Amino acid sequence: MGFSTKQIHAGVKPDPTTGAILTPIYQTTTYVQPSVDEYLSKGFSYSRSGNPTVRALENKLAELEGGADCAAFGTGMSAVTATMLAFLSAGDHAIISDVAYGGTYRLCTKVLTRFGIEFTFANGADPNDVASSVRDNTKLILTETPANPTMKCTDIAAISKIAKKAGAVHAVDNTFLTPYFQRPFELGADLSIHSTTKYMDGHNATVGGAVISKTAELAEKVKFIQNSTGSIMSPMVAWLTLQGCKTLSVRMEQQSANAMAIAEFLEAHPKVEQVCYPGLKSFAQHELSSQQATGYGAMLWFEVKGGLAAGKKLMDSVKLWSLAENLGSVESLITHPVTMTHADVEAKERARVGIIDGLVRLSVGLEDKEDLIGALENALKQV
Amino acid sequence: MYFDVNGKRIFATTGGKKFDNSLPTVIFLHGSGLDHTFWGLHSRFFAFRKYSVLVPDFPGHTHSEGPPLTSIESMADWLNDAVESLCARDISIVAHSQGCLVALEFASRFKDRVKSVSFVASGLATPVNSALIDAAENNPEAAIAMMVGWGFGSAGHLHQGPVPGNSMVAAGRKIMRSNVPGALAADLKACNAYSNGKTAAAAIDCPVQVILAGKDRMAPRKAGMELVEHLHNPELHIIQESGHMIPQEAPDESRLLLRNFIFSNNPSG
Amino acid sequence: MSDFYEFDTLSLHAGQTVDKEFGARATPIYQTTSYVFPDTDTASSIFNLERGGHAYSRISNPTVGVLEQRIASLEGGSAAVCTASGMAATFCAITAILSQGDHIVASSQMYGGNISLMKNTLPRFGITATFVDPTDIDGFGKAIKDNTKLIYGELIGNPGLDILDLEAIAKIGSQHHIPFMVDATFNTPYLCRPFDFGANITMHSVTKWMGGHGAAIGGVVVDGGNFDWGATDKYPTISEPYAPFQGINLWEEFGPAAFATRIRAEAMRDFGPSMSPMNAFLLLQGIETLSLRMDKHLSNTMKMLDFLQNHKQVSWVSHPSLPSHSSHALAKKYLPKGAGSIVSFGVKGGRDAGKAFIENVELASHLANVGDAKTLIIHPATTTHSRIDAQALVAAGITEDMIRLSVGLEDIKDLQSGFEAGFRAARKFAGE
Repeated sequence: MGFSTKQIHAGVKPDPTTGAILTPIYQTTTYVQPSVDEYLSKGFSYSRSGNPTVRALENKLAELEGGADCAAFGTGMSAVTATMLAFLSAGDHAIISDVAYGGTYRLCTKVLTRFGIEFTFANGADPNDVASSVRDNTKLILTETPANPTMKCTDIAAISKIAKKAGAVHAVDNTFLTPYFQRPFELGADLSIHSTTKYMDGHNATVGGAVISKTAELAEKVKFIQNSTGSIMSPMVAWLTLQGCKTLSVRMEQQSANAMAIAEFLEAHPKVEQVCYPGLKSFAQHELSSQQATGYGAMLWFEVKGGLAAGKKLMDSVKLWSLAENLGSVESLITHPVTMTHADVEAKERARVGIIDGLVRLSVGLEDKEDLIGALENALKQV
Repeated sequence: MYFDVNGKRIFATTGGKKFDNSLPTVIFLHGSGLDHTFWGLHSRFFAFRKYSVLVPDFPGHTHSEGPPLTSIESMADWLNDAVESLCARDISIVAHSQGCLVALEFASRFKDRVKSVSFVASGLATPVNSALIDAAENNPEAAIAMMVGWGFGSAGHLHQGPVPGNSMVAAGRKIMRSNVPGALAADLKACNAYSNGKTAAAAIDCPVQVILAGKDRMAPRKAGMELVEHLHNPELHIIQESGHMIPQEAPDESRLLLRNFIFSNNPSG
Repeated sequence: MSDFYEFDTLSLHAGQTVDKEFGARATPIYQTTSYVFPDTDTASSIFNLERGGHAYSRISNPTVGVLEQRIASLEGGSAAVCTASGMAATFCAITAILSQGDHIVASSQMYGGNISLMKNTLPRFGITATFVDPTDIDGFGKAIKDNTKLIYGELIGNPGLDILDLEAIAKIGSQHHIPFMVDATFNTPYLCRPFDFGANITMHSVTKWMGGHGAAIGGVVVDGGNFDWGATDKYPTISEPYAPFQGINLWEEFGPAAFATRIRAEAMRDFGPSMSPMNAFLLLQGIETLSLRMDKHLSNTMKMLDFLQNHKQVSWVSHPSLPSHSSHALAKKYLPKGAGSIVSFGVKGGRDAGKAFIENVELASHLANVGDAKTLIIHPATTTHSRIDAQALVAAGITEDMIRLSVGLEDIKDLQSGFEAGFRAARKFAGE
């Protein structure tokens, strides 16, 4: 079955009682059991432990990613947290790619260290740096590729090999490319993490997360954390995400094509210092990107000549593009990571991983590319 | 449609199609205090599948002129008169509760007319609680409450129904209120007095079907099984989750059983 | 009432079968447009009304269906059809019975939307109305013409809070064989079930007390199942064969649910004002606490009446539970638990005082809805009726100092201190 067919039909079936073509929203806490002996015979007892609408989304995402099972969470961060809690205990060590999302960085450095878990932030783009960070107690390697917001890419296959050798689990945050463009399990990874808030939903309607496991054994560990910490996804969010998933491939294709056109426009613009988009020949890891993914996604960043002041001027004057956090939706968004998404990362660390002050991040949406380019062109005139 | 039986104006629904006596006929008989709407879904199903359908209101019920008939035997005679006046042929009887007693009499006495009988939620006799008969005579609202309480299972009591938005129990109550005064009491007394069930059952030689409900409090399983014992080779089905009002409480299951039985024993075109 | 279950039980359980698939305790939200048929026979039998079931969510939907059966049970009706709003319910009910050339006799004291529908909109389609003072019972009989096919009124009238004498009007309807429809929004079935007094059809804006939380717009029409549409040839939409459904005669086939079936078969199909499943779910949540909320609405209303009557800046207070109200006796008869939670009162100092009060009252929300859990308040002279002159205001039963209050569920002390803030601001206009 092809991806587009799966994104519509996987995990769901018409309601057997009424024929309703869409999975009902089971906005319920609990489930009436037929009898004591038949407890859980219909599969559900309490909606923290499982809910039919959320289950439908989990099944769909598992099939889309090609994994054994999936656990859905209240947010992308709770998906990341659950991954850490499932595979790390006090005294354990994890390697996190040094350009991880600011929230992931904060979770590791400000929260999980309190529970005796050690972290090393390694350059995911350099397998040797990752390999040399491995310790005896390394249990988890978490990478994000392309990374937010630097777009730095990680060689999934190379890191998976290192993880395997170290006896650690390799979790890949696949939010930016989705399984439509990038298939971490086929490259050797063990877990795929998503902020479903982004492309899975695609419409800025929900906040949610998911962890897809390659094997049932791994899935069981994640599910255990999902139930025992209770950071679950709501049925309503699951239902909206189920709807969003149905157009994932067409949105990814179109948003990527828009992003490519915008990257080319910016690269040719005299007021632009640099553009970073994996689809550009000038992108340092263009070859790796082309090799391990079938598309380049719809995220990019650029720097306006004149640095931070010029970037701010552009963001304040640009029309059509919304100055907002989040990414991956059909609405095009413009963000300043240093003051917004990555403000919690220390300046020194930001500089080290390449989040420069003048970096302007674009999440390219589904509008006509002429309109998006036109808006940037007008804004650049103001700079 | 309205038609004339022994000089009285009688109403029957024909399932949304014109009555055509060149086709095999399915006659649906309602139970005590009820009327044609009780069989609405099923009657339309057969009417749209090349059967002529007749769902009469017994005299004194809803749209049919009274007075109500006072014995099961007289109801069978009346039914025969109705069939004659319409020249209906190749008759499959589908009967519920009290209608089953009428069907026993009719099918045993007018054998030539009958191709098959489906007995739904009934025994050989229907002894009626004296408190209910008393209520029907003196306090109809209390009798209706008892009928509703015993007749329907929990889905009915929670105002569900097979048709979206419709409450089967509320409709049942309105129907019982629309009968002429004394109709329900006359029905219940006729049921209580009927004692020819065994003889009648033994005399029926056409194919027969019995559909019972697992949660029937008006015609308990034991009574139904007695009917089964005295019929010749009956096809027996028990719908476990239904109360007495099978056609309303289990419309899909009962329709399928009736369909299979009547299509094979009284095929049309 | 000969129900097997009592009101509070029905308000929690009626209409709902525990989900067969997973046992979900709450009603699933069937947010779907359509339904997959297992085979063509099933499809055709649903369209031919040979079996229940759902084909397309404009016509019916499982979540909405639970709400419909729940309301039918509470109201004592045989069937209910939910609509996208209360106005849609009224429109669907009227057009299910009346056609060009037909006539309505309606109470003159009604919600402005109802008046406008009958006065301005329906005449464009040849349906006319005569409005009668709801306290003039003989007037209803006198207004009936040969082409009158509906008598319509609100049990608790708007804005005067006059109580409609249900039995007297039902009797007139019955004598002329005309169905009597009641807008029962302000009372809800918890305070009065109009079918118990001879009404034939009810409607509710379930947006109000039924839903109770100001979260969803919706309406419902309930079929009393107690009107014989086929007794004369006056109601052909219900008693004659209906061509779009294979010539089925709805009166013959559906008996006590014939009227509701006509709405579903025609209005929902051809006009399409269906309720969304999500709204139905929210409204179901509201109905679960209907009696609890109504009791509190009523007790808070009594306390507010006491407070207002004893306030020196209040010139008058109107509520049917007060002996001074002209409908007091009827209120006791039809609304023994209480006459609803809408109160009107006058602030000393006229229009300016009313305006100052509204602008400074605390806690009570200034808006045009009624029946929310939160207390709502409005000054008709400067808002809903601001564009009409003083004379027209009087005709509509509105005075310049009038405040309409929908008493909510807040703590009474907080409500009253919120009101004091309004009165303080209005004091300078009171002329004292």
